[in-house]
Amino acid sequence: MRSYTYTVRGTVWLLLYLLFILAPLFALLTSSLPPARGFWTEFSVAIGYAGLAMMGLQFGLTARFRYVTEPWGEDVIYHFHRQLSLIAVALVIAHPLILFAVRPELIALLNSFRAPWRARFAAISTYSLIAIVVTAIWRVKLRIKYETWHITHIILAVVAVTAGLLHMVGWGRYLVSPQKRALWIALPIFWLALLLYIRIVKPLFILRRPYRVSKVRKERGDTTTLVMHPDGHPGFRFSPGQFGWLTLWGSPFKITGHPFSFSSSSEVTDGSVEMSIRNLGDFTSRIHEVPVGQRIYLDGPYGAFTIGNPADMHVLIAGGVGVTPMISMLRTLADRNDPRPAILLYGSKDWESITFREELEELKARLNLTVVHVLRDPPADWTGEKGFINPEVFKRHIPQPYADHEYFICGPTRLMDIIEEALSDMNVPISKYHSERYSFV
Amino acid sequence: MRRLFAEKLVLATGAIVILMSLLFAFLRVHS
Repeated sequence: MRSYTYTVRGTVWLLLYLLFILAPLFALLTSSLPPARGFWTEFSVAIGYAGLAMMGLQFGLTARFRYVTEPWGEDVIYHFHRQLSLIAVALVIAHPLILFAVRPELIALLNSFRAPWRARFAAISTYSLIAIVVTAIWRVKLRIKYETWHITHIILAVVAVTAGLLHMVGWGRYLVSPQKRALWIALPIFWLALLLYIRIVKPLFILRRPYRVSKVRKERGDTTTLVMHPDGHPGFRFSPGQFGWLTLWGSPFKITGHPFSFSSSSEVTDGSVEMSIRNLGDFTSRIHEVPVGQRIYLDGPYGAFTIGNPADMHVLIAGGVGVTPMISMLRTLADRNDPRPAILLYGSKDWESITFREELEELKARLNLTVVHVLRDPPADWTGEKGFINPEVFKRHIPQPYADHEYFICGPTRLMDIIEEALSDMNVPISKYHSERYSFV
Repeated sequence: MRRLFAEKLVLATGAIVILMSLLFAFLRVHS
């Protein structure tokens, strides 16, 4: 039922997205019009306008509107954001190239020292867009720190859209009528307002709803669990599998939060939430130093990676720290006395580093739960699964019919790709499996 | 596969925008 509602909502949002690009474009064709030029000139103008509209809407895609992202999942939205930016940039670059091809005299505008400001703004917008793409695709290769990249990304995006707007208004051939001009000026301002919303309005709201770290628990596998209680407010309810953006040091106005799954049961009623964070060498290496009582900020819950659809069985496939949303699901199912079987295929490095190993054993007493550990570096007397989770391991432990179960996959990209492909080959419908990828950038 | 689905959506969106831009130019020149 929920997946049907999500399909409808997802389709409506997609149509609205297209409407936001195409309606302002075709609004240019209404009322008084300047004399038509050649077909390719008009086409290049159209893709220029459409490219600008797409660039602007990128702010909306990453504004963390729960109602928009829910049907798709945050990771798909970010993927959409990345891929669409390539199309938007291609349209914006094609816009002058087509003009140069059909009207070579315009090539002189490339000389920014002599060109009028309306052409200079076009150059500024285009160069900013190219810089956005280069720094986003090759951030790691260029050794740009995530935080530095994030701030640069936002500044370049604002410059690109503002310069694009000034170029459009400066040229203004289609914007002679006050209504059209108002529409096309209001739209970019609305897009930039989305940025202000996420960077100023939302942090203000989060600032008024702080949390306190009430316990710091060491887990197996170099993982630390933070138990957090709402400070002066009732907190929020989440669905197991969802995540939140955590700001540990500093205010919610800090540009970079970090997304982590909630690991606690969603049936806990005192508003407390837990996040279990593995030391991956970056800022996560300092998590165990967080003192009890520290004030922190949480923005959430987000994500469509949750249980709730009708299913005869839950199949959870986790690699490493990908187990955190799974433990939340299992704790919740146990608290709900859910009688349905659940199978956890869990890949870890070795026996000692299996996060939540003891608790998973305890949960077997409260749930119809089967846990299959797959170890990369097993002890000598190990008789269980070895190596990596792959379709063979999957088929050995998951009963048929495969299409009746609900699947959740979280772990390294390679594991997720392999399992998603296997599920597709086994004709499991796309609505039956869910995956969460945190490598947004 | 969800990612593949997202990629199809992106391509479809790009194709629709380009087709509509062609329509825009056609309407502009022939009306």
